[in-house]
Amino acid sequence: MLTVLRRYGTLIGFAAILIFFWISLPDTFMTARNWLNISQQMSMLIVAAAGMTIVMVMGDFDLSIGSMASLAGIVAAILFSFDYPIWAAVSIALIVGLAGGAVNGLLISFVGILPFVATLATLTMLSGAAFVVSGGKTISGRVIPEAFGNFAREGISLGNWGGVAVSLPNLTIVALIVAVLVWVLLEQTTFGRRLYAIGGNSEAAHLSGVAVRKLKLIAFALTGGSAALAGVMYASRVASANPTQGSGLMLNAIAAVFLGSTLSEHGEPRLLYSIVGVLVLGVLDNGLTQMSVDSNVRQILVGGIIILAVSTSSYTRRLR
Amino acid sequence: MTLHNRAIRALLAGTTLAALALTASSAMAASKIAVITPYLAQPGTQFYVEAFQAAAKGKDWDVNVIDTAGDVAAVISRIEDMVNQNVDAIVINVDPTQVTAGLQAAKDAGIPVIGMDAGADPLLVTNVTSNGYAMAAETATYVADRIHGAGNVVMFVFEAFPPVQVRGVVADAVFGNFPDIKILDHVTPDVSDGGIADSRAKMEAILAANPEPGSIKAVWAAWDQPALGALQAIEAAGRQNEGIVITGIDANPQAREAIATGGNFEATVAQDFKGIGTTTADVVTRVLAAEDIKQGSIYVPTQLITASNAAE
Repeated sequence: MLTVLRRYGTLIGFAAILIFFWISLPDTFMTARNWLNISQQMSMLIVAAAGMTIVMVMGDFDLSIGSMASLAGIVAAILFSFDYPIWAAVSIALIVGLAGGAVNGLLISFVGILPFVATLATLTMLSGAAFVVSGGKTISGRVIPEAFGNFAREGISLGNWGGVAVSLPNLTIVALIVAVLVWVLLEQTTFGRRLYAIGGNSEAAHLSGVAVRKLKLIAFALTGGSAALAGVMYASRVASANPTQGSGLMLNAIAAVFLGSTLSEHGEPRLLYSIVGVLVLGVLDNGLTQMSVDSNVRQILVGGIIILAVSTSSYTRRLR
Repeated sequence: MTLHNRAIRALLAGTTLAALALTASSAMAASKIAVITPYLAQPGTQFYVEAFQAAAKGKDWDVNVIDTAGDVAAVISRIEDMVNQNVDAIVINVDPTQVTAGLQAAKDAGIPVIGMDAGADPLLVTNVTSNGYAMAAETATYVADRIHGAGNVVMFVFEAFPPVQVRGVVADAVFGNFPDIKILDHVTPDVSDGGIADSRAKMEAILAANPEPGSIKAVWAAWDQPALGALQAIEAAGRQNEGIVITGIDANPQAREAIATGGNFEATVAQDFKGIGTTTADVVTRVLAAEDIKQGSIYVPTQLITASNAAE
């Protein structure tokens, strides 16, 4: 009983939040439509957090994902303005993400710079690049192909539920696909197990023949790629690109992974738990907005809940 | 011990939320209005949101101001949440073309969305803003009057940004109606550094090309930064006593200061941010009363700022 509570404390807290909103907002919270809304609102963060989980499994960070997301959106939008087809512009934006992530990996594993310092530097560089490429302007309007903006507005119809047309948003589908891919990668492949081995003890992993440097490089590239995908999804949702629009993703992604990691046995990040972390953040935003709670108070509350969850988790771990 | 901690945690989160819920639900049964913006930290936005809230006090409204701290996609999310809450009206202060997904959701649910200095859009009931055409007419006619309808005028314009582009069109029309006014040049400054420095450089070149006193009667600028740059150029060239009249638009603090000192920079136009907030509240009242609003934009009068009122 005690173990169950220790393991699932955050989950129980999450359930308490859900029940609370359900009671407070009986008509609008626990509806299919609202949950599909939340899934769509959180889709970009799910992709960013999934990517962040890959490097955090190794005990590393990537602070540059927000700037990478902004840059990817800008790259896609600029290519649209040169009449590139959507698939080509999006592919190039994703390649920029993979390449940027690989640079992070190179700096960290081959040059030997601490992830915090290396990705802080690339954060600044990528952010600068986004401003340079866009000329500091928001790229919007006719330049952005209608189909690109419509993608984020459409979905697969799920029919009529109680007289309301409900559909599974495209952005949610993309997030689900990324989640499944990253889950398989981390939980079902040798690659994933090796990343966890590096996270457990990098030196030991190295001595037992794990190619630590190469794996780190690949992991950071994947994180960069998923950040770029999140940025492209963001650009599609707002049908425009702005050199700072992804900046909120980084801290939220780290928060979600931390929040989720309180669920795992040894506090290591797990993809499914990261998604629970994202959902906690998303549900709080959605529920508190619906309850007309002041947006600044909402931010304080979200921060407080993260501190509570992580500190109780580390406290109980120390007691063991 | 573990159990204890977890319980405390859940309890704490629960009670905090419950307390907030009580505060929020105390204002039930009123019309629910959501004001959503990513720009609450910016001075202009603060003015109209505060004026909107002040105007709402006298009405039976439950106003929910939501700031997404610069995040435009979050504006869409919050519009969706408000649609889900079935609010009576939504007010936005963000470029409507960037939140079309949210506006479409509101439209599908039959919830009116009103723009507060947002930009005109078919998905908005209307947009309350300042009239860029009128602002440009104010300063252009000021210039024409001051130089008695005759002389050479330098214009600083910016075609790439639509709200500024219209100002240039109107000024051209006004000056074109005076046969003795000649436009020396339409200058488009490089704005990447804020616009003042390059405007100054451009103005210095024009002054050098027109050395005769009286060969330049006025500088009309489509916004304040080029006006400030031109002022610097004129003063640096020692030609501040030739009576060259400078006007800008926007009434930023630096411009007000320059005008108050009584130099060549004589006039600019101030937007009435409070008026935009109050008028938006009026529009919401009319929309709630099921009035059909026909104009895509509702303009709030602006004010000409000269040395007599620049310090206000």
